[in-house]
Amino acid sequence: MAVANLAGHDAVVARYKDVDPVYGETRDIRLLGFVFFLMSDVVLFSIFIFAYLYLRNSVPDWPPITQGGHQLPRFDVALATVNSVVLFGSGVTMHFALENWKHLNRDKFNMWLGLTILLGACFLGGQAYEYHSVAVSWAGSTMGATFFTLTGMHGFHVFIGLVYLSVLAIQANRGVYTGSKYFGLTAGTLYWHFVDVIWVALFYLFYLM
Amino acid sequence: MLACRQAQEVQHGGRDTKSPHGEPPESAAGVWGATPHIKGEMAQTVTPQHQPVRVDRTFWLVTLGLTIINVILTVVIIALPMDYLLPGASLHVADRGDDIDFLYKFMSVFGNAIFVYVVGYIIYFAIAFRRRPDEPLTTIGVQIHDQPKLELWWTIVPSILIIILGAMSVRVWYSVQFGTGAPALTVEVIGHQFNYEFRYPGLSDSYFSTTAPMHLPVGRSVRVLVTSADVIHSFWVPEIRLKADAVPGLVQNLNFTPQHAGTFDIVCTEFCGVNHSRMQAKLIIQSADDFTDWLDGMKKQQASSGGGGVVALAAGDPNAGKALFAQKCSVCHQIAPFDQKLVGPGLLHLTDDPQHPTLVTGQSPTPDHIAAILHNGFTGPIGTMPNQAANGLSAGDIANLVAYLVSLK
Amino acid sequence: MSTTAIGDHEHEEHGAHDHIHPAPEGFIRKYVFSIDHKVIAVQYFAVGFLFFAIAGLLAELVRIQLLVPTGAIMDNNTYNGVYTLHGSAMVWMVIIPLVTGAFGNLVMPLQIGARDVAFPWLNMISFWIFPVAGAVLFCSFLAGAPDAGWTEYPPISVQGPPGTSLWCIAIFLIGISSTMTGLNFMVTIVKMRCPGMTWTRMPLFTWATFATALMNMVATVALSGALLALFLERQFNVPFYDPARGGSPVLWQHMFWFYSHPAVYIMILPAFGIISEVLPVFSRKPIFGYKMIAFSSMAIALLGFTVWAHHMFTSGMAPWLQLPFMLITMVIAVPTGIKIFSWVATLWGGRIHFSTAMLFATAFLITFTFGGITGIFLASVPADLQAHGTYFVVAHFHYVLFGGSVMGIFAGLYYWYPKVTGRLMSEKLGKLHFWMTFIGFNGTFLPMHWLGLEGMPRRYATYVAFAQSYPMAQFWNDFATCSSFIMALALPVVLFNMFWSLRHGVRAGNNPWGARTLEWMISSPPPYYNFKNIPIVLGLPYDFGEPLPYRNLDHETDPYPTPLPASIHTPPAVPAGAGV
Repeated sequence: MAVANLAGHDAVVARYKDVDPVYGETRDIRLLGFVFFLMSDVVLFSIFIFAYLYLRNSVPDWPPITQGGHQLPRFDVALATVNSVVLFGSGVTMHFALENWKHLNRDKFNMWLGLTILLGACFLGGQAYEYHSVAVSWAGSTMGATFFTLTGMHGFHVFIGLVYLSVLAIQANRGVYTGSKYFGLTAGTLYWHFVDVIWVALFYLFYLM
Repeated sequence: MLACRQAQEVQHGGRDTKSPHGEPPESAAGVWGATPHIKGEMAQTVTPQHQPVRVDRTFWLVTLGLTIINVILTVVIIALPMDYLLPGASLHVADRGDDIDFLYKFMSVFGNAIFVYVVGYIIYFAIAFRRRPDEPLTTIGVQIHDQPKLELWWTIVPSILIIILGAMSVRVWYSVQFGTGAPALTVEVIGHQFNYEFRYPGLSDSYFSTTAPMHLPVGRSVRVLVTSADVIHSFWVPEIRLKADAVPGLVQNLNFTPQHAGTFDIVCTEFCGVNHSRMQAKLIIQSADDFTDWLDGMKKQQASSGGGGVVALAAGDPNAGKALFAQKCSVCHQIAPFDQKLVGPGLLHLTDDPQHPTLVTGQSPTPDHIAAILHNGFTGPIGTMPNQAANGLSAGDIANLVAYLVSLK
Repeated sequence: MSTTAIGDHEHEEHGAHDHIHPAPEGFIRKYVFSIDHKVIAVQYFAVGFLFFAIAGLLAELVRIQLLVPTGAIMDNNTYNGVYTLHGSAMVWMVIIPLVTGAFGNLVMPLQIGARDVAFPWLNMISFWIFPVAGAVLFCSFLAGAPDAGWTEYPPISVQGPPGTSLWCIAIFLIGISSTMTGLNFMVTIVKMRCPGMTWTRMPLFTWATFATALMNMVATVALSGALLALFLERQFNVPFYDPARGGSPVLWQHMFWFYSHPAVYIMILPAFGIISEVLPVFSRKPIFGYKMIAFSSMAIALLGFTVWAHHMFTSGMAPWLQLPFMLITMVIAVPTGIKIFSWVATLWGGRIHFSTAMLFATAFLITFTFGGITGIFLASVPADLQAHGTYFVVAHFHYVLFGGSVMGIFAGLYYWYPKVTGRLMSEKLGKLHFWMTFIGFNGTFLPMHWLGLEGMPRRYATYVAFAQSYPMAQFWNDFATCSSFIMALALPVVLFNMFWSLRHGVRAGNNPWGARTLEWMISSPPPYYNFKNIPIVLGLPYDFGEPLPYRNLDHETDPYPTPLPASIHTPPAVPAGAGV
């Protein structure tokens, strides 16, 4: 009996037909689930970005003027630019890691993945340095409230991503993934790109706008 | 047009329904091509889609009956003043209120109409189309899926009603939000826990609803500016039909012209704390002359009371204050340094604590400012202090307490 | 056909959908930590019903308090906690879990011919968060109950009792559960429909579940954000809502209602779906306007994201903003009206059997329509200026939530109970439950319409001033309270019915109602794998004159399913669908 004739399904199943038809179908399902998960994560950031824009628009000056009468300083664009390059770079390295995996270059894969994790950790270090040196406090103003909450949430996502990538590295080296079955790596790459895209938005909103 | 015969009996004559078969027919049309035992008009072979159905005479009679009910209800709603639903409807307390009452009438008319038709048809169908006890279980109803023309009508007619309602609402909305010109009188209302503060042009100070009601003149256009000093409250006079939340940090305005003298309630409709249900005030709408007299009287009173005080602080009696403190305040406060808190901080050094040079309100610890806290209460990160009404303090009580606290060193 | 575990990468010619994993063994795997959507559904129902009883008890305390204008039994603080927990529990711990977690889980995979949902383990985790979140919510009583209503507006909620933080945590947790369930259902419906089940052959309950899952997945996260911000402001003084430091109380309202308006559609759409299943079966004719009902469900789900600020007309947002929200809210009335008219037209020309499920479905049409009409009143900004924050709003949402969602839940209970247990519920007790509920409900909430417009605000522990200005205030409150007792006493009736019928109910067989959707083609209760052979679908499941539109069914099935005799006290000689 032919397998389900649902939309788009046949192509996926055909690709895996000789290898593992079961995998073909569950991979599709898991990929859609993961994409939906990322969509709901986007909503989480969106609602806080809405809050930031709302609060920013509800005062006449930005950065806001504190009760003491002085205006808060703008964030350091230079530092953030460097940090952004680091993070976007890690997105590029992740892309190469996955490509190498697909072409079965184990060693190159390990190198690129290691580089990704390293760059991601550097990004977090940069964020920690920024948090330490910035003149705005979390509880002092809405500028601090929105900045630390949003970049903090993002940093938390980066941290979880680093943990996830590390797990993937271990799994890959233990042989869990094969040349054609590597959904975990695809999901990890998607997640890492998602983290990058969110940072594009945050970088613009807090540093350039 | 729609019309139909009711009580269609479709039986699967010739088909043995008790023993399930193997292969079902290839196409859906096969059933209709077979010969079910159908009576009357439905015996024609028609495809299930877009089958013209006809309703019968009883349906039209029921429709007529429901329409008559609706006409009667419409007449009643339009003719009767809406006092049974909206307070003071026949008094026409404010001009905007009349507009809003008309909206309610319009919505009641067509809301009732929809409801009467829907419920009427449900009851009629429930009776007319119920399965009779003697009918076999295999009996099915008329197998229609849709009636595009009918559906078009029942989409268009409600849409038109909605458009009309929307247009009417927009008109009234505009006049409420923006008024119809510059107002003759602007009054500020500030919500507190748990009373209202009123500020009038020409009065040097505001006053609280616990001491006097709000006053408005008949026939002059009024703008009420509403805000809050602490949490979200609301300013609502049911007979005027207008409501605005009192939100700290922003000011809303309500525009209307009072038209009928009387005494009305101002009610808080946004939860604001433990005594939310006790937050009301009085509004007196009076003739323009009476209003002017009242305003003049308030001006004189404020001038003579030395100004700058929410509460007239005559010389209070510290001993009476001490007794009152033990009775009412010691539940939460001690006469001890600030850090020795029960519920609220210690008050020994209220006026001369180098570590706490200001009161919790940020003001200097003068008698007036202390009295203000006793009067209004206070809410902030440090906690909530109930206000005068909640604590049951009279103006004299406040004066005594202030004298006592100031005497502590 | 061999049985292999899902996830085993053995070569299997039929593909994942045909895999039947081994049966769960042991009490814990079968009934406690089960990944079977049907067991999870029953678990959701049990916990949801327990919370329904608790929240209903809280409601009774509210009603008793309002017997006298000075407040009969509680001080203000206690009362505020009671009504806050009543509302919070009913929305998040009762209705949403029941309509999505219980009915969605039970019925949707069966209706699409799947063996389970897309992510069964995620489904189990989603369930187990639920009793934990509910426990945290009710434990907030012990810490100083949250008191500012289920909407918890700042600044009052920032200053509120410690239980407010527990409230934030509880709702955050249940939000995670809801989001995961929504995601699970979305993927299941998109990817796991059986062969031949195109979108336009899906049963309407599945359409409703799809629209609901979409909203669940997207909107709930917005609430999580709002709760996080409130929690941060309470615990760490981070200023989002404090106007003194640049924050805005109205911001909370935007964030909260952006979720909470779709939430009300989450609560009602599955009930719409249940009604759309029950009405045709008991009228023995197709649902009228299938395509329009499906389309309207999606329209309501999507439009529902654009109308949140109609809860904020008096709140102080920019006046020009009120306009689009007012107009779009009115527009939503149109697809909703279409659905109501279609349901009524489903009755026309039928051969109606008024089982208890059908009674609830029919009553739904009446009470939900009434609630929908009062919603139109509230949609108009000037009219809302009178009604906002009063008992008129309380009346409106109870008509649509109780008269809508809860009536739908009861209809679904009586309809699908035989599928879960293999027995019918007692019709006599069911009818008693129905009439007590219907009469009690209307008596309780109808007077609230005029109480509200005449000047009684909501969230009032006492109403002394109102009683002075409106002489009938106490009478109508007492009328409502006495009616609420009738409604409350119906609950033990249905509870007893559920348990009694487990042992003594008439045996149901596969298809006691003569319905045509796929869940009725398998045994009652179904085997853990649902379908041995994945069925093939040829058409809509609503044509009662035609043979069943399925191939490859597991059992020999009467091609023209017929309901069991209406009132039977002895098992029928030949149960429908013999040969299980």
